[in-house]
Amino acid sequence: MTTIVDLPAAAQDATRQPARRRRRVRSTWPIVAVLLGPSAILISLFIVLPAVYGLWLSLTNTQLTGFAARDPKFVGLDNYVYLLTSSDFLASLGQTGTFLLFSAIIGQTVLGMVAAILLSRPWVRGKGVFGAAILMPMVVPEVVASLAWASVLATSPEGTLNRLTSLFGAEPTSWLQTVPMVAIILVNVWRGLAFAMIMFQAALEDVPVELIEAARVDGASATQVFRHVTLPLIRGPVFLYLLLTTISTVGVFGLVYFLTRGGPGGQTRLAAIYIYERALQFSQIGIGSAASIILLVIVLVLGVVYVRLAKVKV
Amino acid sequence: MKRTHALAAFSAALVVAGVSGCTAAGGDDGTDGPVTISIMETKQTNIDAINKVIPGFEAEMAKQGKDIKVDLIADQLTDEQFKTKMTQQLVAGQAPDVLDIGENMAIAWSAAGYLTPLDEYLEKWDGWSHYYPAVKEAITRQDGHVYNLPSGAGVQNFFFRKDVLEEVGVETSQPETWDELIDRLVQVKEATGDTPIVIPAGTAWGGGTWNEGFQPLLGGTDTEYYDRDSATWNLQSPGWLAVFELYDELVSKGLMPVEDLQNPNPWEPTKYVKFPAGDIQVAAQGTWGWRFDWGPEGATPIEGLDEKVSTWQYPALAAGDQPYGWSSTGGGYAIPEKSEKKEAAMEFIKYLSSGKPLAEQLTASGAASARDDLDDVAPYSEEPHLLQAGKDLADSVYVVTGDGADQIAQAVSTATEKILSGEADGRQAYESFVKDATDLLGPSLVKQ
Repeated sequence: MTTIVDLPAAAQDATRQPARRRRRVRSTWPIVAVLLGPSAILISLFIVLPAVYGLWLSLTNTQLTGFAARDPKFVGLDNYVYLLTSSDFLASLGQTGTFLLFSAIIGQTVLGMVAAILLSRPWVRGKGVFGAAILMPMVVPEVVASLAWASVLATSPEGTLNRLTSLFGAEPTSWLQTVPMVAIILVNVWRGLAFAMIMFQAALEDVPVELIEAARVDGASATQVFRHVTLPLIRGPVFLYLLLTTISTVGVFGLVYFLTRGGPGGQTRLAAIYIYERALQFSQIGIGSAASIILLVIVLVLGVVYVRLAKVKV
Repeated sequence: MKRTHALAAFSAALVVAGVSGCTAAGGDDGTDGPVTISIMETKQTNIDAINKVIPGFEAEMAKQGKDIKVDLIADQLTDEQFKTKMTQQLVAGQAPDVLDIGENMAIAWSAAGYLTPLDEYLEKWDGWSHYYPAVKEAITRQDGHVYNLPSGAGVQNFFFRKDVLEEVGVETSQPETWDELIDRLVQVKEATGDTPIVIPAGTAWGGGTWNEGFQPLLGGTDTEYYDRDSATWNLQSPGWLAVFELYDELVSKGLMPVEDLQNPNPWEPTKYVKFPAGDIQVAAQGTWGWRFDWGPEGATPIEGLDEKVSTWQYPALAAGDQPYGWSSTGGGYAIPEKSEKKEAAMEFIKYLSSGKPLAEQLTASGAASARDDLDDVAPYSEEPHLLQAGKDLADSVYVVTGDGADQIAQAVSTATEKILSGEADGRQAYESFVKDATDLLGPSLVKQ
């Protein structure tokens, strides 16, 4: 025997809701498909598919030239074993790490923060000029920036830096030969400073003034206010910036390639330059792809670490 | 819903219109009707020379009842940039119909199947019989086919600043051995304080380190480094170590401009600045130095070139060797396998490789003729240096190599870079070279 029990109105409403939601979903899916479809197709075509193809290539001995180009073969993990035991590749990873640490994580972040703090001070005069000067490197195209620095660091006595040092009686120096890594780190700091400053400036503006004033009333020094009030409140944007600058710095190619071509003696052969040389100059697409995948994994791991540290949703 | 469907239909229509538009953009096939072929040149002198002969070719074809037009793609690039760019285009089937390529490119691309074998076309062409037998041998690849027709030939020697050497009292006659040449270089260094000799070395010089630097030194003392029968590289051949040790000696004695060689575009401070200024006194250089580099319309003209500059052959490196010139004939015009206008492209190549058009190109680029019937054709006939180079070709040394030349070039440039940076001496550089070359070539291309 079946007993029919009238449900309370709220319960009836609850049972009706999924059905209504299903109907709403059914009625909206075409517009959702049309709106998301193009981006889904583009992402699949230009990001997912090439990534999967790159992964496949990394497992083959594909070359672009020579008889080997006619018949690429599946070689399993051989390319990875080759790279992870190659002193050249490991050296390029080391150089990338040095470049990343000093130019992006320390240089851009610290100087960007200093610039942002200075610009947020009410007593600072000429903010417009200062801000514009810092922003300029970001708006200059990469090739133009490289050309400008090639001129600044030129070996000849006419090089801008050599002209400056000659004022103190110094002989002309081949900066890109004697201190190549320092030179490219400085150039990258110069170029990335503006983005850091903009991000930190926006973050600092969101810090409630009352909190800072309260800390000051309690006797905190400027350093203590920054360390214990400001910094914890802008931790999210700081780690987000670190994530973004890590990704972009690991991928830096044109700026360094134009200045040093990875030299002298491979001292500035960053991973991106190593990959370019292998894949495109020497036509070893299989090895180049494997090196790219290794770099991708390293960046992913760093990204996860940053996100965990920041506890921010990306 | 209706709006959604309309949007979807509009998107589909756009896609269809795009696809059909792409299809409609296809053109002539090279057999019927008007044909436009493309050729790419990367050096200004070649760009000018080809531009000059195109109207003549089009008129000549019109006379024969063929409507063939030529589109010159002028893109100034270094050899390395050109090779990198063109490899991608060949893979994608987007390369121009006629390519002007170097020897290593010819070897690497023909082996990969990117170039059209020209044998059938050449057999039907009477001009082919005028090419020197040594040239024909040099451009026959290891599968027995010819894939490129030389646009010119050259002899690589040492160009030296006769005026500077005479001024500092250094002997200018042909040095018989490397010991003799090094003694003279040391004297020049002591007198001027300069680094007196430039030979391409290191990674920044790209493929030139092998083609114009290392290989001419190696080929003069050891012809066994490549085995044509087995199509393998003999990395244990004694010449390799001897040449690495020579580089080491030149660097350790401070005779090479090490810093310049490690800069991007190392030919600029060395060949285009210091040699013309007389601050580098000896340079490894091909015939094209007389026109392309230092001629009146060259990259950096040297006023009074004939009086100030002269040439030596390469001195003997090992006991029993003789001084020699190194010939280079391996590059030239080629047609991509995926070109749909092969017939028309071949017509253009034949035109470029004959009579006055060829004479004009050779004169512009400073190359010798690879044919035996050009000595009386102006303006080539008015160039004594080029005529002499053509004669010297017969006595010059050349070693025909095959697949793997690119990888060898890479390993040599890396190993010589280690000498330049002081990271390795000659033997260590050689050992590093053997390791790298073995890795890069794979077992099938290394002689066991």
